[in-house]
Amino acid sequence: MAQKSWHLDRRKFLLGTGASLGLPFLECMARGETPATDRPRRFCSMYFGFGVGLPKKESEQAEWSWFPEGEGRDYTHNKSLEPLEPHREKLSILGGLSHPNGRKMGGHDTGDTFLTGALLTSKFLRNTVSADQVVAQHVGGRTRFPSLVLSTDGGVGEPTRSSTLSYDAKGRPIPALNEPRRVFDRFFGVGDDDVIAKRRRLASASSMLDRVLEDSRDLKRRLGSVDREKFDEYLASVREIEQRVERSQHWLEVPAPELRDEDRELLHLDADDEAPKRFIETMYDLVYLALRTDSTRVATYQVTNMADASSKAGKFPQLEGFKGSLHSLAHGWNKPEGAEKLGRWDRFMAERLAGFLARLDAAEEPHGSLLDSTVVVYGSSNSQTHNNTNYPLVLAGGSQLGLKHGEYRRFGADVPMSNLLLTAMNAVGVGTDRFADSTGPLTEVLG
Amino acid sequence: MIPPSDDMKALQLLLLLTASLSPGLLVAAEPVDFERDVLPVLKARCVACHGPDTQEGRVRIDTLSTNLVDDRADAETWHEVLHALQKGEMPPEGETPLTEAERRTVVTWVSNAIEKAVEAGRRTNGRVVLRRLNRVEYQNTMSDLLGIDMNFVRDLPPDSPSEDGFTNDGNALRMSSLQLEAYLETARRALDRVIVSGPAPKQFDYEFTESNVGNWLGKVERSNRLQRMQRFLATMKKEYPERGDFLIRARVSAELVPDAPYPLLEVSLGYRPDTKILFDEIDVVEFTTPEERTLEFRGRLEDFPLPVRGQGKFPGLVVRLRNAEDDGSPRPKAEKREKGDKRKGTFYPPEPDRSTLVVHSVEFHAPVFDAWPPAAHRRILFDSPLRESDEKAYVTEVLRRFASRAYRRPATDEEITKLVDFYTEVRPTFPAFEDAIRETLAYVLIRPEFLYLVEPSGDEKRPADDWELASRLSYFLWSTMPDERLRRLAADGTLHEPKTLAAEVDRLLADPRSQRLVDQFTSQWLGLEVVDRVAVNPEFHPDFDNRLKTDMQSETQRFFGELLEHDLSALRLLDSDFTMLNERLAKHYGVEGVRGETFRRVSLPADRRRGGVLGHASMLLANSTGGDSHPVRRAVWIRDRLLGDPPAPPPPNVPTLDEADPKFLKLSVREQLEIHRNTPACASCHDGIDPWGIALEHFDAVGLWRDEVRRREGRKTTTSPVDASDVLPDGTEIDGADALREHLLTERRDDFARTLVERMLTYALGRRLELTDLTTVDRLSDEFVANDCRLRDLVRTIVASEPFRTK
Repeated sequence: MAQKSWHLDRRKFLLGTGASLGLPFLECMARGETPATDRPRRFCSMYFGFGVGLPKKESEQAEWSWFPEGEGRDYTHNKSLEPLEPHREKLSILGGLSHPNGRKMGGHDTGDTFLTGALLTSKFLRNTVSADQVVAQHVGGRTRFPSLVLSTDGGVGEPTRSSTLSYDAKGRPIPALNEPRRVFDRFFGVGDDDVIAKRRRLASASSMLDRVLEDSRDLKRRLGSVDREKFDEYLASVREIEQRVERSQHWLEVPAPELRDEDRELLHLDADDEAPKRFIETMYDLVYLALRTDSTRVATYQVTNMADASSKAGKFPQLEGFKGSLHSLAHGWNKPEGAEKLGRWDRFMAERLAGFLARLDAAEEPHGSLLDSTVVVYGSSNSQTHNNTNYPLVLAGGSQLGLKHGEYRRFGADVPMSNLLLTAMNAVGVGTDRFADSTGPLTEVLG
Repeated sequence: MIPPSDDMKALQLLLLLTASLSPGLLVAAEPVDFERDVLPVLKARCVACHGPDTQEGRVRIDTLSTNLVDDRADAETWHEVLHALQKGEMPPEGETPLTEAERRTVVTWVSNAIEKAVEAGRRTNGRVVLRRLNRVEYQNTMSDLLGIDMNFVRDLPPDSPSEDGFTNDGNALRMSSLQLEAYLETARRALDRVIVSGPAPKQFDYEFTESNVGNWLGKVERSNRLQRMQRFLATMKKEYPERGDFLIRARVSAELVPDAPYPLLEVSLGYRPDTKILFDEIDVVEFTTPEERTLEFRGRLEDFPLPVRGQGKFPGLVVRLRNAEDDGSPRPKAEKREKGDKRKGTFYPPEPDRSTLVVHSVEFHAPVFDAWPPAAHRRILFDSPLRESDEKAYVTEVLRRFASRAYRRPATDEEITKLVDFYTEVRPTFPAFEDAIRETLAYVLIRPEFLYLVEPSGDEKRPADDWELASRLSYFLWSTMPDERLRRLAADGTLHEPKTLAAEVDRLLADPRSQRLVDQFTSQWLGLEVVDRVAVNPEFHPDFDNRLKTDMQSETQRFFGELLEHDLSALRLLDSDFTMLNERLAKHYGVEGVRGETFRRVSLPADRRRGGVLGHASMLLANSTGGDSHPVRRAVWIRDRLLGDPPAPPPPNVPTLDEADPKFLKLSVREQLEIHRNTPACASCHDGIDPWGIALEHFDAVGLWRDEVRRREGRKTTTSPVDASDVLPDGTEIDGADALREHLLTERRDDFARTLVERMLTYALGRRLELTDLTTVDRLSDEFVANDCRLRDLVRTIVASEPFRTK
């Protein structure tokens, strides 16, 4: 029996992975009882730092303004968002929204709160739960993974310069994955196919975790007060895994999803931050595949952030031939030709989003396309750099979930961004009437 | 003459007493009262900028707690207030200064309050925090503990840095379920390799003297003579193993062309076409001499992209050798073979001005092992008659030995009993003894006693015990668990003896593993990883070779290592007559006569442009835009990293200059900054920032010397002469890097020394420094300066210091 591992039978694997992660079941949740009428609803969000180009109307570069001309149904895209035109009927452009708490924070400090709406000041750096994780709590049990959290830099980063969009119920940052190869192996790789062996290890993991929790009271008593706080973080992690192990038995017999050849053709798993276009597209593709195979229904992807010099994404524009780093493009909007330079980058980003939406829309489901049952929130927490109001936002998808599209809508400062997040959460079936500082749903985008 | 009254005498006596008690704080006979004396001054003079409406530098004074004993965070802010007042930085220039009486009132109150807070916290504050091993420490520890080489951190998320940029700060390091899950899976993956079961597996042995593949790998020429366009490709079609350690032995010689770059032999293993990750590199070896060498390359098969069985069109397991030396110049074009030439595939004409690697043979062996079971296995499952006679007793001893190494202290009987309980519980569920042992060891490896540096304690400080000291020392100097000798000294209970401790510091520093201290500390202190985050603009630097980025970081790390190894003065970081270079970086700098990839000490020409870190391309590029210098970033770097005086972050609503004005754009960076500083709102901060960076204007983005600044205006390139002159905040006029170095060495030596002391102490303790550390920092700094800033001594005194030896 033990000899078996030396001669692992790989023949039946479409996708042998050089070394598999082998423990997706820890991350996974129980297969809930899903009535046939309850169709999958998905939520995903993409974020970029430093805002967009917003030249004045009378400026020569007005055509590089991110927000469209006109309002309502009769709007026309400027150049930055032109790539979204084909999806016009399946998305809304939203202007004027922002997090009221964000307005009180430093110009580069708001990336952490895009999906949470929390107040982070130099003294109080504790975040609150993010919208995607509320959704994950709600629907995460129905899929192998409760959520997929991605970013360019990976991990959690530092408070106010975080490298993740997602925060758990206690406001603790959830580390993001950033290596396409690792994401692929985790979600689609074929690990050890021996169900019995898996079951044994699962049972043993469960016992380990029980015992750690049991012993921890002793250890905790022997620690000083500062250490205890740190130790609690460890214990919380243990508890979290334990709960998942409990319910993950169900997934053991469910084979990992098989990908089509054309899916694999598209993936560039060796893409890294030296080739931004390929890297971003691959990350989007991984989100798409995870949703399409119903491996998860919740995904976030921080494409770029505001950590500037310490972020891998800082140099993305230059590597693609744009004239400056992210930060300098963003700061240069006011210089001659600055709005155009930044606008061209905005357009580059919109092209990537458009590609993602196109793939979602091309995937047919029994009722409309995958896009029609997925709510996509795309945007930044700066309008122009340093400015924490008037977030540039695109709300896409979800036509089958009650969202109504085709318009460019502007809102006053009295409407908090949380209203949008609440609306998105409601659309995917989270029956709450409040999120963070929301004052009510955004009825304007409801059909 | 009227004799003085008794009252008067009493008053004089009181004054005298006060003076002798605290000479520095002598002020008034009457104690300063916060509400009555201090608050009015703050309200009148500070709150406008540091109050409810605006918080310049993120500091708000009117809500600060006056109870500094209990509110440690606010005590730190008060300390900053004190600093600003003593240095005369506040109120800023342009505002009316405080009167002497006002200043004295506030300074007195704050000093006294801080002194009280420090005194009150002396026994409880300033303690090392429960600290998780970071990625580097985990990698090294797992490797030492298990005795195998493997990438243990592949699935771990990146670590969060502290505000000072250190990635070993207990508070900043987080734990999450994703992280813990990765620890468990990594432990299992590793133990699957360490603990073997069953008879020895069959070994596969191959030898190749030429490439043996068909046409499938695209347009490369298959050959034994390797230049840029050729490959040596050895394939094993069906008969190859998929698990275990492999050994590739290559016999290779070189034909060197004088003055051409040395050839680089790159060996890779693959080939997995379905995910487009074909090969992973095993290693690269430089050939500096022509003789034939027999080189060995080792790795673990599972770590490489292996082919998928049953996909017949693919070639099987492939070993690839190529010459990775490529300066990026245009490559030769393929030519057709002459008629009658039977060799297959494309052909490229040789490049006579390049060196050639000649492959004589390539062997492939796998799985290889020293013995069966291998040594790493036997170290844990040691030979013992107990194994047959009494399994439980044997397992108890196995777990005692393993846990005592993993926990970095003797495991207690109670702990062992609990581990054995776990083993007993899972044993029946696994088919083999080894399986259950693997699980139990994995359990040890996710326990907090292993993942964290645990130092139990109550509310009051206590001396660290010998085991804790062994770990602190080992993680500080080697980034790994204590070795055999440290553990023995801890067991003997002699490690804490000053002589022993000092001798151990010297032993650890003399060991090659101390390179980890050099690499980690230098990189985190000076922010070297930022070099990788800057994209060099090809418009200005078309020939920039990206490999230089690693070389630049190495230069600074090696330089620090050289100072440490030879016990030289740290002041050489500010100015030096040598630096550390390899061929590529030497060429970049225009220094002649350095050959090969290896770094070595190189004397600098008399102009000393490269002397010290201010002339290192790492610092200059990291603080540039990739196209041009960035004087403000360079300045902030100097003030923060070298002088320990980082400027406050920019306020939330920075007024923007009218950059749209074309005239503004025509100005040099220096002139633009000048306009900046003519705006009062900007000047208050930038007067104190910009000059430090302006002085380095002779260095361009990639750290090359320049006398002219090249800029782009639309499609035109314009040049203007460099102006590196400015006036430092203290009024010193400086012009260029030499003057800046001189100034730092003469006027700011103590600040630099103190900053280095603070940063190294921070790294050594794995926590931020607190007010209670002030006296230690003072003392260490004084000794450091008195000792000509010798780095070895600094390491020794840090280890001997109270915070390092106290929990």
